[in-house]
Amino acid sequence: MKHVIVIGGGVAGMQCASELLKEGVKVTLLEKEQNTGGKLRNWYKLFPTYTPAEEVLSALRHKLTGAKNLTIKTGSEATAITPKKVTLSSGEELDCDAAVIATGFTLFDARIKEEYGYGIYDNVITSADLEQMFTRGEVRLKNGGKPKRIAILHCVGSRDEKVCQRHCSKVCCVTGVKQAIELKHLFPEATVFNFYMDIRMFGPGYEEMYREAQTQYNVHFVRGRISEVSPTFDDKLQIKAEDTLTGRPLKMGVDMLVLLVGMKANDLNSDLVEKSFLKQQPSGFMQPRNSFLGNVESNVGGIFYAGAVTAPKNVGESLNEGTAAARAAIEWLARK
Amino acid sequence: MVNFGFSISRPRAIDIDRNNLRKSNEIIGEMPELQACIGCGSCTASCTAGNLTEFNFRKVHTLVRRGEYQGAYEEMNKCMLCGKCRLVCPRGINTRGIVMLIKRKLGDF
Amino acid sequence: MTFFAQFCIPFIIGAAILFIVIAFKYISWLKNLPRRDLKLVAVNIFSFKSIKAIWEVICESLLHRRIFRVNRMLGYMHMSLAFGWFLLIAVGWIETVAYLGFKWVPLQGHVFFKYFAVLNGISEHKPLFDFVMDLLLLFVLSGVGLAWFKRMRSRALGMKRTTKHVAFDRMALSALWFIFPLRLLAESCTTAIYGGGSFLTGGIGTLLAKTLSAHTLDMMYEPLWWMYSFALGTFFLAMPFSRYMHIFTEIPLIFLRNYRLRPEAKEKSYDNFEVEACSRCGICIDPCQLQSQLGINEVQSVYFLRDRRYNMLQQKIANNCLMCGRCEQICPVGINLNTLRLNSRTSMRNIPNEGRYSYLKGVDRSSGAGKVGYFAGCMTLLTPNTLSAMQKIFTAAREDVWWADKDGGVCCGRPLKLSGESDSAQKMIDYNTDLFRKHNISTLVTSCPICLKVFREEYKLDGIEVLHHSEYILRLMKNGKLKVKYTVGSTYTYHDPCELGRGCGIYDEPRAVIEAVGELLEPKHNRKDAFCCGSSVANTAINDSQQLTIATKVGEELDQTGAQKIVTSCPLCKKAIKRGAKAQVVDLSEIIAENIK
Repeated sequence: MKHVIVIGGGVAGMQCASELLKEGVKVTLLEKEQNTGGKLRNWYKLFPTYTPAEEVLSALRHKLTGAKNLTIKTGSEATAITPKKVTLSSGEELDCDAAVIATGFTLFDARIKEEYGYGIYDNVITSADLEQMFTRGEVRLKNGGKPKRIAILHCVGSRDEKVCQRHCSKVCCVTGVKQAIELKHLFPEATVFNFYMDIRMFGPGYEEMYREAQTQYNVHFVRGRISEVSPTFDDKLQIKAEDTLTGRPLKMGVDMLVLLVGMKANDLNSDLVEKSFLKQQPSGFMQPRNSFLGNVESNVGGIFYAGAVTAPKNVGESLNEGTAAARAAIEWLARK
Repeated sequence: MVNFGFSISRPRAIDIDRNNLRKSNEIIGEMPELQACIGCGSCTASCTAGNLTEFNFRKVHTLVRRGEYQGAYEEMNKCMLCGKCRLVCPRGINTRGIVMLIKRKLGDF
Repeated sequence: MTFFAQFCIPFIIGAAILFIVIAFKYISWLKNLPRRDLKLVAVNIFSFKSIKAIWEVICESLLHRRIFRVNRMLGYMHMSLAFGWFLLIAVGWIETVAYLGFKWVPLQGHVFFKYFAVLNGISEHKPLFDFVMDLLLLFVLSGVGLAWFKRMRSRALGMKRTTKHVAFDRMALSALWFIFPLRLLAESCTTAIYGGGSFLTGGIGTLLAKTLSAHTLDMMYEPLWWMYSFALGTFFLAMPFSRYMHIFTEIPLIFLRNYRLRPEAKEKSYDNFEVEACSRCGICIDPCQLQSQLGINEVQSVYFLRDRRYNMLQQKIANNCLMCGRCEQICPVGINLNTLRLNSRTSMRNIPNEGRYSYLKGVDRSSGAGKVGYFAGCMTLLTPNTLSAMQKIFTAAREDVWWADKDGGVCCGRPLKLSGESDSAQKMIDYNTDLFRKHNISTLVTSCPICLKVFREEYKLDGIEVLHHSEYILRLMKNGKLKVKYTVGSTYTYHDPCELGRGCGIYDEPRAVIEAVGELLEPKHNRKDAFCCGSSVANTAINDSQQLTIATKVGEELDQTGAQKIVTSCPLCKKAIKRGAKAQVVDLSEIIAENIK
């Protein structure tokens, strides 16, 4: 029986594993955390349908439970990957016939953009923090109060030369719109301002959602990037931006600032270049063999990609790539 | 903007056909990175001078690129060259260099 | 006795032109010195300072002590040429006196004494002089040999790169390379025919006499002296227009410098001495990060001074400098490279404009009250960690603080000065000075070394003590107002900001502060030799990716220390190094704020 190792137990990895199992391949799923699910574990609901993330995850987990040819190794990180062998951080070596890299991305550390005050001021949070607050049902200010005015800032750690993240993280715009609507659900009295450079609503239903936020939820969209955040004496945050559509500087006191953090390539990716001879894009994400006809294949035969390891992707796209990578791996095993 | 002591109503539209883009092309030719501006307004928002007066770097350099030079030199002279805008520009534009270049091209040195 | 031969003509013409040009230059430069400078000269000329200057001339112009500090071989090369040649002239003069007694001999009589001794039938030989002169000639020739070797393999003499020269320089350089070998040949040929000489000229002379016929030697004799004279003449002719002008210019420069003359914000006559004292040795090239890290080759101080001297300075050269001061630190002539570059920029860009910054009138956005004023600086507003750390420190030390620019102040003026708009900068200087006075502060603390430098150098803040936050924090700790805890095992490395270190001479205070909370690990380049982060406001020419390249190199070196945190004390350096380093980058105030007892 052929053996494929899937590195990364997020949505792409889980989907890939289940597709491989269907085809009668022995699968080892590696996950560095203690649980499978990846970034989605910390997410509340998914755009544009408000599907609970847990729903997607439990469906995926359900597909994997009881599979007899599956080994899930949690808490184990791959340090070197070849089509024949994967080495774990514990030193253990696993032989295989092909490998799928589905290691996803790293969330941008908002502390690096010091001027936004994350980690300095209490009520500056990231979009990931907000999702967890949603999950816990505890969206509130540090002092326990309800936010009356909330600002959401797009493109934190995306499209920013100053933090060496040139690329667009793709999903933050729509996440910002989704979170604005969710906040309005929780706090109908609150005013929400989205500060953006460009609004990129690329997916089905996204544009509609944007329109809904504007017309039904009265979310304000200000075209301008916040440049500085400072505390005010009454425990609020003062934000500064240019309202570029009026051409005038804008100042505003808000209770809460949500930073839509972008997707950053994993640090592990540069190791893959050195140790596995894989190719990396200038953005740090891995380079597929061909952007059209081989977008789940790497430049090394027998190593495949699934999900956000090659570029920022949404959940649906990652799931599709899981399936596609499984198919590509099976074809590869058949040819050998 | 400069007050010439009389007023004629200038057409509202930026007429690219009539504007002389020679200086604009020279400026962009010397520092092509200016074209990378996505108009996010970070420069203007953080601007030390813009905090105190109606100076809008983004607007002025965009107008200059469109061939609208009137008053641009005087506006750029409000800049204190403190360099905050360069630190915040997400496109990594050498904004201080741009200010100096526009002043050189449109001013008298 | 006759002291003239036709072959002397090139030498005489060259020497005459040299003296005329130099005299003309010096007189016009001195005449145009501003009154203040002339007064300084008048006051100091008959003082101990002149004796100090003489000593410095011997040490620097002849012995080249400062080049020895860069590299011993390089020092020896310069010393052998300068000091050796000087001794040849001095001993040569004594030699003629020894032969002829005190008696007026024209210049060429001294220079070509070996020729004229024969011509005038002086047949006696003084072996001691022959020996000393030969030894000195060998000394100089060893320098010439090293100079040749340096052209081929500069690294052996501690230089990765050498200067690219202009036409006059090449002409003078070629002549210089030939002068001493030709002298050797001419004198050896003379000894071959007429005897005399010591181990060198005598030895070669004997060899020539053995190998060549008397007829051939006769044929060679006059042409060799002609060539020697021609080489000398060419060198002297090119000298005042080439880099070799430094030989003479450094001497008055040393005197004037000892009389406390300095270049200033605007160009003035004194600058000529500094500009022409540059020997274009090229020692400033290697420390330049624009060269070593970005491969930019035409902007270094040596080229800047060259272009300025020949009136062909372009803005793109003048503007492309980080003004980090690494070259100034190492310049063997001690030229004030940064000040000269600044006043060049000022000449190119400064336009007095009365109406500029009229909007500053009446602005006051400061808050709080206290004897201590805190001026964060524009950039610090983008590093709020520093602001909140300072707030904590002020609170812990129970200091009443007046915040000058929490809500955005007026720039200190230094960036405008650095870009050459010094009259406009003065408006900001005046504005801020008035603001500080109005709020009656006695201490002014700033977190930005750029502001610090201009506060100290350009602001007239008598009665107000200006401190960088590193000095201020150290003082609070020494006064017992601030108590911090030392954590065993916590390691820090420190990046010296240019404006704080080389700019204001503050190296020890931040280190003392760091050592109060943890262990300090020094990077390879530190203190006076520290790297620039690349984001200097002085440079408006390099682009973002070039800044990033420099930051990455600097970050790598800091990471190599293995320290847990990289500490710096400049908001600009912090922002820059953050982009290039893996370890966490923090401001000095942050590590204190988190360790307050």
